[in-house]
Amino acid sequence: MTGASLSKTQIDLLGDRLRQGSPIEPDLRMLDDYRRSFGPAYEFVVQLVRQQLALEPTGRPAKSTSAIVEKLHRETIRLSQVQDIAGCRIVVPDFPEQEKVVAALASAFPKSSVVDRRAAPTHGYRAVHVVVEALGRLVEIQVRTTLQHTWAEVSEKLSDVIDPAIKYGGGPDNIKDALKNGSTAVHSVENAHKVIAAVNARVQASDEGISEEAREVLADANTQLVAVRKQLDDALRKSVSTWVATEQRPQT
Amino acid sequence: MIFLIEYNRRKGLIVSFEEFDDSNRLEAEKIRLDIELSLSRRGVDHEVVLLQAANQEALRRTHRRYFENPQELVRRRA
Repeated sequence: MTGASLSKTQIDLLGDRLRQGSPIEPDLRMLDDYRRSFGPAYEFVVQLVRQQLALEPTGRPAKSTSAIVEKLHRETIRLSQVQDIAGCRIVVPDFPEQEKVVAALASAFPKSSVVDRRAAPTHGYRAVHVVVEALGRLVEIQVRTTLQHTWAEVSEKLSDVIDPAIKYGGGPDNIKDALKNGSTAVHSVENAHKVIAAVNARVQASDEGISEEAREVLADANTQLVAVRKQLDDALRKSVSTWVATEQRPQT
Repeated sequence: MIFLIEYNRRKGLIVSFEEFDDSNRLEAEKIRLDIELSLSRRGVDHEVVLLQAANQEALRRTHRRYFENPQELVRRRA
């Protein structure tokens, strides 16, 4: 039986069995069939992103078995409802570029939904996910700015080496607080970038040069930017300090 | 390029790393399943992931967590 021929009921029953405990080999093979059935949709989406939008995503044709099983344990979601079995990631320099890329993706894939986690982050995670329906399957495109990406990588790495709960808002308080502050600082830095980009665009569109008001707004935004960048650096440094201290402790 | 990574999450370290041409995705998927089944039989909790990128540099940029420790991730922030 191939993954494409599995019924929704079979997929969800498989999900229920995987949720119950240590997976048995036939179920792991069935899960592999199912995740590989996303291959054609994944190829279609990644090719279109590369050719039509001239972007170079890093693709993940299928989620790892351990990540799928952990998601089923963590959430009440059915296996057939998991939206990120296949996906890809695009990292862009800044917020204005992220806006452009998301708009281009939404236009290139009319059957898509945009999940904007920038203003309302999930456990501090900020990004935009565009979930595309292609060839009867869902493919998730993550669009992150460099800052959002750095925060996400730090959070995920600390979840790996300190406590898996960190990624979902749990774990030691000092790390949780530092990541929360870091996420807020990412948002503040990007807001300052947004203000600066908007003022610069207005100035460029005007024949009269930069007004006194625009100059003041730019100066304020740049001052703000310096302050929040420092907050971000401090927060990220604090978030990894526990790991650094453990690593530097002499082994007995 | 396709990259097959076995990653020890608890230690934050790559256990094995293999590259394939894009045309060899089926072979890479088969090896991924073989590794996952072997790990499952031995009760070893490693992540086995298949990623596709233009080159290794692009992979290291979008999936830094596999290659860098927490301090390096923070130090090298853009």
